[in-house]
Amino acid sequence: MNSLPAQIAFYSLAALTLIPALCVVRTRSVVHAGFWLLPCFVGVAGFYAALEAHFFFVVQLLIYAGAIMILILFALMLTRDAMNPNISQTNRLGFIGGLICAVLGLTAAAMLARQGWPVGGSHPADAAVQTRELGLALIGLYAVPFEVASLLLLAALIGAITLAKVQREPVPERAPLADLFMTEAVVETLDRSEPEPITAGEEAKAWN
Amino acid sequence: MELTHYLVVSALLFAIGTYGVLTRRNAIAVLMGVELMLNAGNLNFLAFWRFLHPGSMEPQVFALVGLTVAAADAAVGLAVVLNIYRSFGHIEVQQIDTMKG
Repeated sequence: MNSLPAQIAFYSLAALTLIPALCVVRTRSVVHAGFWLLPCFVGVAGFYAALEAHFFFVVQLLIYAGAIMILILFALMLTRDAMNPNISQTNRLGFIGGLICAVLGLTAAAMLARQGWPVGGSHPADAAVQTRELGLALIGLYAVPFEVASLLLLAALIGAITLAKVQREPVPERAPLADLFMTEAVVETLDRSEPEPITAGEEAKAWN
Repeated sequence: MELTHYLVVSALLFAIGTYGVLTRRNAIAVLMGVELMLNAGNLNFLAFWRFLHPGSMEPQVFALVGLTVAAADAAVGLAVVLNIYRSFGHIEVQQIDTMKG
């Protein structure tokens, strides 16, 4: 179980998860932080694969590395220039917060390492059997949590749309077709070559 | 690797996420910290499933519901952030302290 390749794989996965996570919370550029989420989520997916939770490996890649990261990047794009990049990205709590979190993380890690957890459980079922069992459980014994989760997703969907909807002015009248063709180049040509004024409609027809 | 290793990694990931939530100014960066914490929680669920109850499905269902909550949280949180950006012109969490719209 604790063979050398397994240890190497585990510690590389830990590095792949924790170092990008540190970059996410420390990088100055928020866009870079958003992109640092990707290796972190992929590392967690690797842990799921190592834990033989095959379904969650795929779901983690699809939902976190796919959907949530893209959502965060979109939000970053929509709120660009929201922050002054010249000031520090951390607030006044920077040092104390770091201290608190270091103490929290290291104490928790030390306590967990000292705790005598039972070692070496049996292996879970194969991927196909396991996923089938999960599906059956979701429509059988755990149908209520499943439905509650779907209701929550629906509520979040509607809520997000309602919140993010722009209250626009009524749409203005459609611009006439000729205006679409009155680009700067056209106006310039008109000014230069045609002494007598010509209607925009005719010019548009000519361009067509 | 044993359960302990996974739990330690998960605890460290959670602490890093907490640090992001506590210290970031940008609301979207705060949400990134929350996502890291939720990931740590899910990793814990699945580690306990693998090493303590590999035969039962409860931990997996828990993890799946946790994942759903994370997705809903991201969607609603980002919509709220967009709204704040529209009305305040910035998303600095320290300065969003009025209760009236």
